[in-house]
Amino acid sequence: MSEAALEIRGLSKSFDKKVVANLDLRVAPGELYALLGPNGAGKTTTLRMAVGLTRPEAGAVHIFGVDALADPLAAKQLTGWLPDEPMLYDKLTPAEYLGFVAGLWRIPPADAAPEAERLLKWLELWNERDTPCEGFSRGMKQKVALAGALIHRPRLLILDEPLTGLDANMARAVKDALRAQVDAGAGVVVTTHILEVAERLADRIGIIAHGKLLAEGTLAELRAQAGSDDLTLEDAFIRLTSAPASQ
Amino acid sequence: MTWLMRRLTPGGFLFLMLNEVRLATRAARQRRGGNLVWSLLIIVYTAMGFWLASGLVHFPIEPTHVGFTLVFAVCVLAMSFMTTQAMLRSQDTLYQAGDLDLLLTAPLPARRVLLAKLCGIVANIIMVFAAFTLPLALPIALLGHPGLFGIPLLLLALALLSAVVGLAITLLIVRIASPRTARTLAQIVGAFLAAGVFLASQLLSQGPEHESAGRAVLGWLVRHEYGSHGLASLPGRAALGNVPSMVAVLGLAMLVFAGAGTLLGRTFLTSYQNAPARLTRSRGRAKGGIARHFRQGLFATMFAKEARLLRRDPQLAFTIVLRLIYLLPVALPAFTHGRGPPLLPALAFFGVMIAGQLAGSLAWLTVSAEDSPDLLTVAPVEKQLAERAKLAAALLIAAPFAVVLPLAIALESPRAAVITLAMTIAAALAAGLVELKFQRPAPRKSFGRRREGSFLVGVLTFLMTGLLALGGGYLVWLAG
Repeated sequence: MSEAALEIRGLSKSFDKKVVANLDLRVAPGELYALLGPNGAGKTTTLRMAVGLTRPEAGAVHIFGVDALADPLAAKQLTGWLPDEPMLYDKLTPAEYLGFVAGLWRIPPADAAPEAERLLKWLELWNERDTPCEGFSRGMKQKVALAGALIHRPRLLILDEPLTGLDANMARAVKDALRAQVDAGAGVVVTTHILEVAERLADRIGIIAHGKLLAEGTLAELRAQAGSDDLTLEDAFIRLTSAPASQ
Repeated sequence: MTWLMRRLTPGGFLFLMLNEVRLATRAARQRRGGNLVWSLLIIVYTAMGFWLASGLVHFPIEPTHVGFTLVFAVCVLAMSFMTTQAMLRSQDTLYQAGDLDLLLTAPLPARRVLLAKLCGIVANIIMVFAAFTLPLALPIALLGHPGLFGIPLLLLALALLSAVVGLAITLLIVRIASPRTARTLAQIVGAFLAAGVFLASQLLSQGPEHESAGRAVLGWLVRHEYGSHGLASLPGRAALGNVPSMVAVLGLAMLVFAGAGTLLGRTFLTSYQNAPARLTRSRGRAKGGIARHFRQGLFATMFAKEARLLRRDPQLAFTIVLRLIYLLPVALPAFTHGRGPPLLPALAFFGVMIAGQLAGSLAWLTVSAEDSPDLLTVAPVEKQLAERAKLAAALLIAAPFAVVLPLAIALESPRAAVITLAMTIAAALAAGLVELKFQRPAPRKSFGRRREGSFLVGVLTFLMTGLLALGGGYLVWLAG
């Protein structure tokens, strides 16, 4: 088996109650993995543990073979993270923000500046490059944050609800960009509430509830696990996530 | 408040006005502490008022020209503070609250909504000033001086006038610039007023007569007959119980309020209906390539970011300057023509103190008030290294200001300048390291109240920089 882009083993975390319980997950390079689950299922906590924002109580996280708990800096160098709430500075412009992020990832200015220009043009932010982010709409802020997550060309891209606030054209562009990352060999993990996105975009889908992975696989495999071959992902999702509660 | 609102007609004028007051008082409570603290303070203050009133029962409070001048001066000062407060409240209620869309799409007359908002502004102004004046004035009025019942009426008149003046200025600034500028300007003007009053009082009390600042100002006003005659004496007469003056002052204020309020409300509504959905966005001009924004190395990157954030937040920069202004009286005794301490040690002391406070403030902003801590956490940068870079950025930003006094001292004594510079660096480093060691994440906008969250850090920084400043002053004195 080749080295995983992201490998999670036995990951656990509690706050007031168990949020993530002994979770295993494997995302291969060149794979887009959609993590689905109802609200409070533990998706965001799982992703935050993967990127080093939350310390797990137990378990291991490996990113391209790098132990993220033992050598977090090396793991972070490979990872791009786009949270639900964009990590921005309102008083900085998109160009300045990308300059700052590139500095944090220590990308030489000669490489970072052209890449930033490409991203800003692609995300239709070029004309706004010198406008402070404070007046931007949510969708525009999301685009700036996405550019920040991509500027260091991460090999593993982790995105929490990346399509929130984007218009249809931009949502399509982001989906294309994620596909391009995957085609270039990166591993991509997304959480989304838009099941249609997962259905069309993901190579594999994981369904999580109460901090546990309930089912995992391609759409066809999930349908089979849900007990019928002609279910939509929505039907399969509802059937699988409601099962533990009823048991 | 909610209890009272439940008894009113929903959507009625009083209902809407109380809603405004409720929103503002809740915001104020969040900013300044809980109900209990305020209630206790008011009770203690009222008790002081009764104690004072009992001492004044047999003391005649006659309407005199000096009294009228005093009331006039207080009214001018109070109205300038009230106007800045009205500007802030106008900006809050019209541009920040985010409830106008809801209220204007509800089946209510727009005029009623805007008038309720304006009355809400008045009510909020009155509450603040009433808390300062009425616990003293009302007991005195109750215990033998009923004429002073004119004070609440005068307060109402001033609040009505300030509300329309504040709203007019806000709308004008919004028309020229933006709602955010209006807010910043109001805060800066308010702070300048407070600092101006404070500094003027300090300067006046350093004068050759050594009389109190208030007495000096009052003496000057009395000599020039300000507020003692004619229309200018109306507030004084009203405050001291002259009924025709009370009616005139309040009637005039209500007339202005009703007329200007209606006109300004209509102006605001027109601009609101013609404005795009997002009122606060000001588009920057795109200026060519972007390579200039990319720096080599973590320290240069961090410095560029912190310097930009500070430069783009004039309100924050101004708050820092204001803190330093409040330290100025420490240096004033040095300029008292030989009656105070020797000049160079005093300047050395002041310079070190200023540098420590400035470095501490900037270190707090860069280290504790990081707007995007998650970004730094997911970046491949060691936490300690990032913090050191932030501290270095803070010290670098402080450096040009911190070296001014050592340079000035160098003109007189290079040796004293070297000592001052060394102690300045030590104080800045110490203040920065204290912030680094005891940092507590906080939003940037809470800078003005940061000591609430880290009182001990504030005291520690002040003590350390104070000791180093004393040491600096002493060494300069020894060297001199």
